[in-house]
Amino acid sequence: MKELAGRLTALDPDAGAAVQVIAYFDRLAESRAGLEALVRGAAVLAGVPARLVDADRRVRVRVEADGTRRETDLPPDAAWPSAALTPGGAPALWLERAQATPSVVDAVILERAAGAVRLVLDRTRGRAPADDPALVETVLDATAPEPARLHAVRGLGLDPAAPARALAPHDGRPRIVPAHPETGLPAGRLGVGPAGPVLELPHSWAAARVALRFTADGTAQDPGPRVVYADELGGIALLADLVAPGSEPAPDVRALEAAAATTPWLLATLHAVASTASLRAAATESNVHHSTLQDRLTHAEHLLGWPLRTPQGRLRLHLALTMRHLSRS
Amino acid sequence: MSHVPPPFDPELAAALDLIKDVLSPGLAPDEIDAVRQGPGIQMLAELDLTLDGCFKVEDRTVPGPEGAPDISLLICRPTAQEFVGVAQPVLYHVHGGGMVLGNNRVGVDGPLAWAKELGAVVVSVEYRLAPENPYPAQIEDVYAGLVWTAAHAAEIGGDPERIVLAGASAGGGLSAALALLTRDRKGPRPLGQLLMCPMLDDRNETLSSHQMAGLGVWDRTANETGWGALLGDLRGGPDVPAYAAPARAEDLSGLPPAFLDVGSAETFRDEVVAYASRLWQAGGRAELHVWPGGFHGFDGFAPQAALSQAARAAQLTWLRRLLGD
Repeated sequence: MKELAGRLTALDPDAGAAVQVIAYFDRLAESRAGLEALVRGAAVLAGVPARLVDADRRVRVRVEADGTRRETDLPPDAAWPSAALTPGGAPALWLERAQATPSVVDAVILERAAGAVRLVLDRTRGRAPADDPALVETVLDATAPEPARLHAVRGLGLDPAAPARALAPHDGRPRIVPAHPETGLPAGRLGVGPAGPVLELPHSWAAARVALRFTADGTAQDPGPRVVYADELGGIALLADLVAPGSEPAPDVRALEAAAATTPWLLATLHAVASTASLRAAATESNVHHSTLQDRLTHAEHLLGWPLRTPQGRLRLHLALTMRHLSRS
Repeated sequence: MSHVPPPFDPELAAALDLIKDVLSPGLAPDEIDAVRQGPGIQMLAELDLTLDGCFKVEDRTVPGPEGAPDISLLICRPTAQEFVGVAQPVLYHVHGGGMVLGNNRVGVDGPLAWAKELGAVVVSVEYRLAPENPYPAQIEDVYAGLVWTAAHAAEIGGDPERIVLAGASAGGGLSAALALLTRDRKGPRPLGQLLMCPMLDDRNETLSSHQMAGLGVWDRTANETGWGALLGDLRGGPDVPAYAAPARAEDLSGLPPAFLDVGSAETFRDEVVAYASRLWQAGGRAELHVWPGGFHGFDGFAPQAALSQAARAAQLTWLRRLLGD
């Protein structure tokens, strides 16, 4: 990469290299790379160390041109090429290039890297002042030093000795709550990570994000639980690895979608069948008479092509409903 | 069974995009010439072999296999005073390139970086390429180079008792084959074999080889080209010798300790994991690393990425333990 970046800048200091730089950061942003990967990209492509400093958010990342992370106490040099994270804001990202002359490639690197960094920061910490998003990010960052994470835990008003869990809301930034929170969970779709020691919150956060994928809006069009606890998933959680968001749906999921498109009651009814202990309970849940439910199931079995009233058929239905949630992007 | 490929590591995916103009997943037989002349190989071979004066570099021509042309060895000796006059470990490097590409400069930056840390001598062997020279030209050249290196170790500041075989991709496969061959011929006895994403199995039928078709670097099409060039019609058949494709070896006992690494997102994943398992089953010593989201040769192509740094650190750590450093 270094050689190639060097070749590009040497061969074509303007257009060609700029195109490559843009593609590189687009790709990193697409795959949701973290801050260090973005700063490393800037350093490697520029061939000089790059650093990101955002004192307010307590972010400090410095990476050398060979890709190794190395912090420094020396302040940034005002003469280095730099970029702000917000228009008109203070510089936050620097390329440590001494005696720099203005360069199109440097400018493109800074612009694209800063844009991608901004996205990561917005995604990972949001804006609400109540519980400092930077502290939450630190607590959830497995690569942050333990003392810094414990410090951040205290900053959030949590007891470092008490178990806690991470929450992944569908709309909103990550939250950290005690294992048994006194106040209710936030409204809306939510993945709830397992409770554990505060230093294991990065794991809880990862599990919460997986759990979030199993949630639904809880409407007739998207029936299912709004809140999913990671530690209640058991082996079902393994499905999350197998079904990538946005991937081609499995045949059973396609069958569900096709049937739902012509039959408005289908998804809600099938969810009731899959999530209650008996067909009577499912009928109650669906607000229909028991015999109506039986008729609907006969119709649904015809549309889907597999039985719904056998244990195997119910499992297959449950899997299809679950995979339908997982394959949404 | 569907063949959803494991995702590439984010940084590696971005790096792969950057190098896709010079490196494509596939390689057809009629593209070999163009790639040999192309920028990819030059890029890998263009480096300062002295590492800023840390090594004294020479090319030595030494006898090849009986009845075959001489071979060329690239010899890099550490210059630091503390290493001069003391027999140092030798890293015997076999370059990669799918049996059809490359020269003894390709990929030598990895061994040089270790050697700088360890005070080792690096010997990188040139071998004849397929398809112009089919099996066994490669392994016999590589063996001849090892025999010379062991016999002349003192001349190059090396310790014949501490020769470690190392190679990536085809070079890893040849290193594994060399360990088998020198065991069976009772030739020089290497101290270890460092097999980076080694190319071991001509059959090209593992699940990972199907899973990664058309993706990353060196997919099953390229693999078929490489093995086809080496073995012709023998490829995939019942008569492929272990010295051509180490995965075919029936006896993996009595080999020097092995280090194997491979990316989870590459053609060779399953054959490397299988080879490591078989080494353990044969009572051998082996260390295996499968790097998640790594494409073929990721640590060489994108050495700055976090995953590459971890992979290279693991290689060096193993060498340090092996050499008792």
